Amino acid sequence: MSDKPLTSEIVIEAKGLKKFFGSKSVLKGIDLTVFQSEVVAIIGRSGSGKSTLLRCLNGLEAFQEGSVRINGAELKTNNAQTLRALRQQIGMIFQSFNLFPHLSVGENLMLAPHLVHKKTKNELSTQAINLLKRVGLEEKFHAFPDELSGGQQQRVAIARALAMGPSILLCDEITSALDPELVSEVLQVVESLAQEGMTLLMVTHEMNFAKKVSHRVIFMHEGRVHEEGSSIDLFTNPKTTELKQFLSSI
Amino acid sequence: MSIELDFGAILIEWPQLLKGVGWTLFLTLSSTVIGVSVGSFFSWIQWQKKSIGIHVVSLYVESIRNTPFIIQLFFIFFGLPSLGIKLSAEWASVVAMSINLGAYSTEIIRAGVEAIDRGQIEAAYTLALSRAQTFKRVILPQAYKKIWPSLVSQIIIVMLGSSVCGQVSTEELSYAANLIQSRNFRAFEAFIIAATIYLALCILLRSVLNRLGQRYLFGTRRG
Ligand SMILES: Nc1ncnc2c1ncn2[C@@H]1O[C@H](COP(=O)(O)OP(=O)(O)OP(=O)(O)O)[C@@H](O)[C@H]1O
Ligand SMILES: [Mg+2]
Repeated sequence: MSDKPLTSEIVIEAKGLKKFFGSKSVLKGIDLTVFQSEVVAIIGRSGSGKSTLLRCLNGLEAFQEGSVRINGAELKTNNAQTLRALRQQIGMIFQSFNLFPHLSVGENLMLAPHLVHKKTKNELSTQAINLLKRVGLEEKFHAFPDELSGGQQQRVAIARALAMGPSILLCDEITSALDPELVSEVLQVVESLAQEGMTLLMVTHEMNFAKKVSHRVIFMHEGRVHEEGSSIDLFTNPKTTELKQFLSSI
Repeated sequence: MSIELDFGAILIEWPQLLKGVGWTLFLTLSSTVIGVSVGSFFSWIQWQKKSIGIHVVSLYVESIRNTPFIIQLFFIFFGLPSLGIKLSAEWASVVAMSINLGAYSTEIIRAGVEAIDRGQIEAAYTLALSRAQTFKRVILPQAYKKIWPSLVSQIIIVMLGSSVCGQVSTEELSYAANLIQSRNFRAFEAFIIAATIYLALCILLRSVLNRLGQRYLFGTRRG
């Protein structure tokens, strides 16, 4: 899959993004534009700043310089109200699932829409069941997270993010904590989201998957976008020595 | 030397004992509800990481944890009237016990809050929950679950501590036992019986609280 998305509406726009942890510079000026329905993979060595970049885009980390716009609205990490409005448009899936262990699967899906969108119980449970169907887990509505396999937990986490109706999903190595045989069930869900037109920005070590579903690949190196291009170009014809080294090391 | 035991002389005073049990339970339950709410609220203040809030809460927690309960009770009952705050013995007891449990439970709950995985908080924020919603719906339930056994033990300690409230003439169980033995001079039997009742109340309270924890904190699993 490498057809460019049809629309050219910009949904994520980062300019000159700089992030320090103390005196340590982790993002050294990132410019990034993501279009609606685009699937972008971020690859790079451990410590190159991939997670930090994603976390700056939804305000989990504050940044020191530069700007981020999500669907045209500027991200301000010091304004709780606008930050929450923005987070309804941009979901995030984590490596460690982070399901709420004290709530059943159904309750995990309904908590945020209940608190944030103030929907009725009926609407919410219908929506939750439909989302669970979409990830192939409708029979797990009453189960608790610790009764599920890692792959199932991650699919629930995806359904939970979708319950807020986001237009963008950030995925941070969402299959890295899974046993190899459980990886594909999660990737299938992600692929179906891509086909349905969800904008996806995903950090991944699954190079075959990145090749297969992403329109564009970004290679990060030492806090910078070191090389970027269509997935075919980048994997078959890397230009920089760092990317060549990286690709040969995996 | 032999002593003749006459438990009947004590048990015949059962209305006084029953009243004592009633007050002991009332003091314990009301101070549990108030104290745990205070502790939860103050652990929320601490979680905000605003330095003024942290200082105020730790001043409260440290002054309660480092002074005897009986002094706290006497201060509220005998001391506060000079500021024009006059409470009945019973209300002074409830207030003192609530303030006391509030301080200890603040510490206990805070430990639970700090043990929550950062990923839980980030997941909640990512789902557009506010800080307050995150604390109340994601952090606090998990924190309670982690610290429930310590909290239950502290509630038991507070129940046993309520025996001090007889000193300001709240007619709880130890007051009742003391009153009965002062009438019939059967101190040995009176305090054996009081001790037995306290023991039974502890076992009962612990099992009720453990069951409540099972029911509401450890998942309502079917099947
Ligand atoms: N909270 C933090 N405090 C201090 N330094 C941090 C923090 N988070 C990340 N860093 C540092 O920032 C750099 C980038 O980290 P980041 O997690 O973004 O890398 P990554 O590309 O996602 O790596 P990985 O592939 O291992 O997940 C690393 O050097 C890391 O040690
Ligand atoms: Mg990372």
